[in-house]
Amino acid sequence: MKLIYEKSVKGRVGYSLAKDNFGEIRLEECIPSYALSKEKKALPEVSEVDVVRHFTALAKMNYGIDTGFYPLGSCTMKYNPKINERLASLDRFVYAHPLSDERNVQGSLEIMYDLEQLLKEITGMDRLTLSPAAGAHGELTGTLIMRKYFEDLGRPRHKMIIPDSAHGTNPASSAMAGFNIVEVKSNENGTVDIEDLRRLMDEDTAGMMLTNPNTAGIFEENVVEIARIIHEKGGLLYYDGANLNALLGIVRPGDAGFDIVHLNLHKTFSTPHGAGGPGVGAVGVKKHLEEFLPGPLVGKCSNNLLKKSVDHKGLEPTPEKRDSQKNESAEKEHDSQNSKYAFEYPTKSIGRVRAFYGNFSVLVKAYAWILSIGREQAREVAEMSIINANYVMARLKKYYRPAYDRFCMHECVLTGRDYKGYGIKTLDIAKRLMDYGFHPPTIYFPHFEPYAQETIMIEPTESESKETLDEFIEAMIKIAEEAKKNPGLLKDAPHATAVRRCNEAKAALEPILKYTK
Amino acid sequence: MEYKIIEGLYYTKGDEWIKIEGDTGMVGITDYAQDKLGDVVYVEEALVGKKIKKDEAALTVESVKAASDINAPVSGEITGVNKGAVSDSTLLNKDPYGKGWLFKIKIDNPDELKELMDAKAYSEYRKE
Amino acid sequence: MRYIPNTEEQKKEMLEAIGVGAFEDIIKSIPEKVRVKGELNIPPALSESELFEKIFGTSKKNIDFLSMKPLIGGGAYRHYVPEVVKTVLSYPEFYTAYTPYQPELSQGTLQTMFEVQTHLARLTGMDVVIPSMYDGASAAAETVLMAMRLTHKNKVVISSLVHPHYIETIRTYTEPHGLEIVEVAFENMLYSSAIHAPFQWITDFTELEKAIDDKTAAVIIQSPNFFGGIEDIERISQIAHTKGTMLIQVVVESMSLGILKSPGKLGADIVAGESQSFGMDLNFGGPYNGYIATKQSFIRQLPGRIAGETVDRDGKRAFVMTMRAREQDIRREKATSNICSNHALNLFAIDAYLSLLGANGLYEVASLNARASHYLMKQLVKTGKFEGYAYPFFNEFILKTSMDIESLSDKLVQNGFIPPLRVNKFMPALERHLLFTVTEVLSKQDLDRVVEIAAGER
Repeated sequence: MKLIYEKSVKGRVGYSLAKDNFGEIRLEECIPSYALSKEKKALPEVSEVDVVRHFTALAKMNYGIDTGFYPLGSCTMKYNPKINERLASLDRFVYAHPLSDERNVQGSLEIMYDLEQLLKEITGMDRLTLSPAAGAHGELTGTLIMRKYFEDLGRPRHKMIIPDSAHGTNPASSAMAGFNIVEVKSNENGTVDIEDLRRLMDEDTAGMMLTNPNTAGIFEENVVEIARIIHEKGGLLYYDGANLNALLGIVRPGDAGFDIVHLNLHKTFSTPHGAGGPGVGAVGVKKHLEEFLPGPLVGKCSNNLLKKSVDHKGLEPTPEKRDSQKNESAEKEHDSQNSKYAFEYPTKSIGRVRAFYGNFSVLVKAYAWILSIGREQAREVAEMSIINANYVMARLKKYYRPAYDRFCMHECVLTGRDYKGYGIKTLDIAKRLMDYGFHPPTIYFPHFEPYAQETIMIEPTESESKETLDEFIEAMIKIAEEAKKNPGLLKDAPHATAVRRCNEAKAALEPILKYTK
Repeated sequence: MEYKIIEGLYYTKGDEWIKIEGDTGMVGITDYAQDKLGDVVYVEEALVGKKIKKDEAALTVESVKAASDINAPVSGEITGVNKGAVSDSTLLNKDPYGKGWLFKIKIDNPDELKELMDAKAYSEYRKE
Repeated sequence: MRYIPNTEEQKKEMLEAIGVGAFEDIIKSIPEKVRVKGELNIPPALSESELFEKIFGTSKKNIDFLSMKPLIGGGAYRHYVPEVVKTVLSYPEFYTAYTPYQPELSQGTLQTMFEVQTHLARLTGMDVVIPSMYDGASAAAETVLMAMRLTHKNKVVISSLVHPHYIETIRTYTEPHGLEIVEVAFENMLYSSAIHAPFQWITDFTELEKAIDDKTAAVIIQSPNFFGGIEDIERISQIAHTKGTMLIQVVVESMSLGILKSPGKLGADIVAGESQSFGMDLNFGGPYNGYIATKQSFIRQLPGRIAGETVDRDGKRAFVMTMRAREQDIRREKATSNICSNHALNLFAIDAYLSLLGANGLYEVASLNARASHYLMKQLVKTGKFEGYAYPFFNEFILKTSMDIESLSDKLVQNGFIPPLRVNKFMPALERHLLFTVTEVLSKQDLDRVVEIAAGER
């Protein structure tokens, strides 16, 4: 399709501005010549209708959860309720300036405070930060907290244990937080090899990052023992919440020995993925780690006493000043009768991980979802996501050998390895699914020899009905037949999409990263 | 699928080969490795003059969906790099044992070669 | 439950197909010890209408921001967002999609990435652009890590007039990597008479030059800076490059790029930007969108996702994510960054916004911002209640006042204005300073009213 630049016509206008009443002020008087550009920047010139049609055409070339089944394993592509979008776009939220006086944003602060309380109960943790913008951002926050905790004890630690089945973000985040990575193997059941872990854990190891259920969709049944091994050596256990959907209302990470968790509000808590973000990677910790959280957090002040607040004027503390300010202000009276919520800054904080406080509009959507699900249905979410995944596995395992032939949690890992003999790769199976109108599952992840190869990771989520799953299953069975009888159909797939298989090698060898005409 | 394996070279478990010429070895990746990687789209230029230990990464090659460290099969000093492969990474796919070679290394200890596989052993190792 | 379609009957059928009598049989591997007993202690479910009532009610505890005109910026700017931008953001094919891992089903996302890469390359004068990072602050932190990798050096010199949140984020990100951070200019300007910069509220060149040594990886300058001041990037880049260090320019108010010379043309090596001004609402601080722009030669050290043009098997133009081997899912601990999800949805806003405004519109809006803010500054100084400073600024400026700021702020709120930022919120020494921000959402009448209110206050 044409780029917006290729639709540009000199002199065409897509905007309107109010009459300029500042004619007497010349730009040259405002901006020094060393900085003022002599030419306008070469952006496209198109009309409003051009822009609308351009994006409508682009939308048709995209596939979202509203288009159809999107069973990407580890991504939790569940339905994104429309009312949540509406609530996040309420005027008083949308136009709230982040540096406004706290008295003027009590509604926004209340949402953040309440959401934190709900997430505390759901995870079994004592305090959460809502600042991190994504799962990986949460991981960085969490691992920095681990680092700081040991530094504060006066005994810095340098290693982090990560299972071979972990998402790439785990080792990447740990490395960003300055840790050396130690990989622990998976055993024949798809779970952490406990003996290997026992051998690896030592007093220079900060702890372990564990996804549970793990990326093979299997519950780490030795979680209590894992926590014991880590804690015995003074380490901390980190919960990667990418797969929390399976445990909602069934297990709270805080009760299972985890010291830190990150949650992907754009997964379990239904906020849309937005073609790759924004999400929220909220991080929860147990009591002993609270003071290391990034600031600010939202606190509640009862009886007009702003407990633990920094300063009644809302000053942002410098790192050095935090400690003293906190003590001083502990009993300070707030200057407004109306203020109930206020920002507060942990004393030994790792520091900010971003500007301002978090992806607020995403927080509203997650909050709305939890209130809609309520105590009655929280567990139902997990149950149905698990039943859906096991149903798909049960019906497809004859055709696509599972990586591990046992019950799974919210996602199942099948493989395409039995079709190699027909010259078919898992990639071909995935591309063929597009012709049947489905988004393919996650492929080639997890990958660890010898169990998980040519993997197809399917996460249906609780949003999908049995009918949708049956249609998907029928398509997968049909593709299995095609692979044997007419493999060319798969290799040439997809046939019915906006573009067909793309030459990724060409893109990398002869990079074109912007329009140059 | 049959992968090309050349007699007279030494092979590593990480699918590098080394060809001995006097006290220097020429290093590249095997046919098996290039096939597994797929289209190689980038070859990092190794640092000439760098002292490197056996199994330490000399450079990285990238395909569309993978990145792979190319390790030194033996300890030594890097004495040359194949600029042809750096500028045209497709040589690794087209001619992994020839024009797609990667770097030359002055060998510290020829005894380390004994720990590597010959063509026959490598062929066994990569038999699918 | 409205979000869970399967019926009890279907659940039974499915359990049967799975080969179990009850759900419990599937999750036997979860030890009893770690299970939740009973239900979670969260409120009972709300119906859609109850939910709306509740959250709408909570929203009313905020003041009515929409009907108020902001005089505050400080890293978050209220510009007018054309309705088309909101329409585009509401397309479910965009907002309910995942990361474009399957290009055949993601051309809308990928082409938009490519278009934004083009827009931002043209605005910054750079070769390559990573279009989406979480925000400007985290993008800035990533560029510092990038400069450390590129130079193998572990010190940076940063202007104190970089946004305080950005400086703190840089500290957080680099703390594990032993980076020495030297802040220049601001303290000196306050407490010493030796101001070497041509203006106040501009980074002190001499101090900057003194702080750079052969361990320095990069100099980090924000322009327009935290006080709106327009730095002489060309001069600073000469200083940095003469000393053999890289120059990172932070751009928080990207609207300024509509009229200012491109950072790339002035010698910046890396730009770390925040693009909130291009079609994003304030949203109490997020989600916004960070970006990184740099030169071709630094491309392999970039964090984050980038789209490239290629062809499909029929030779038709197509876009894919490319240079992927830098990323965490391939490189794991050796990746250039851990970033995975970014703020991709906002790319649709940027693309729509910059396409609508185009070459002329962006220039005109930016020009209006600059001229209107200068108008307000002059008028406020004329009241005799403010002390002005002669320094070049874009759409934010700092004024000192001896007035009762508390009372002025209250009066402004009563008259429908969000008061300017009290600078001492970040810099306690600047007790009596206000940072005013003027964008196109304020008309000349609005500004005259502000002046009138200020003039009437003590």
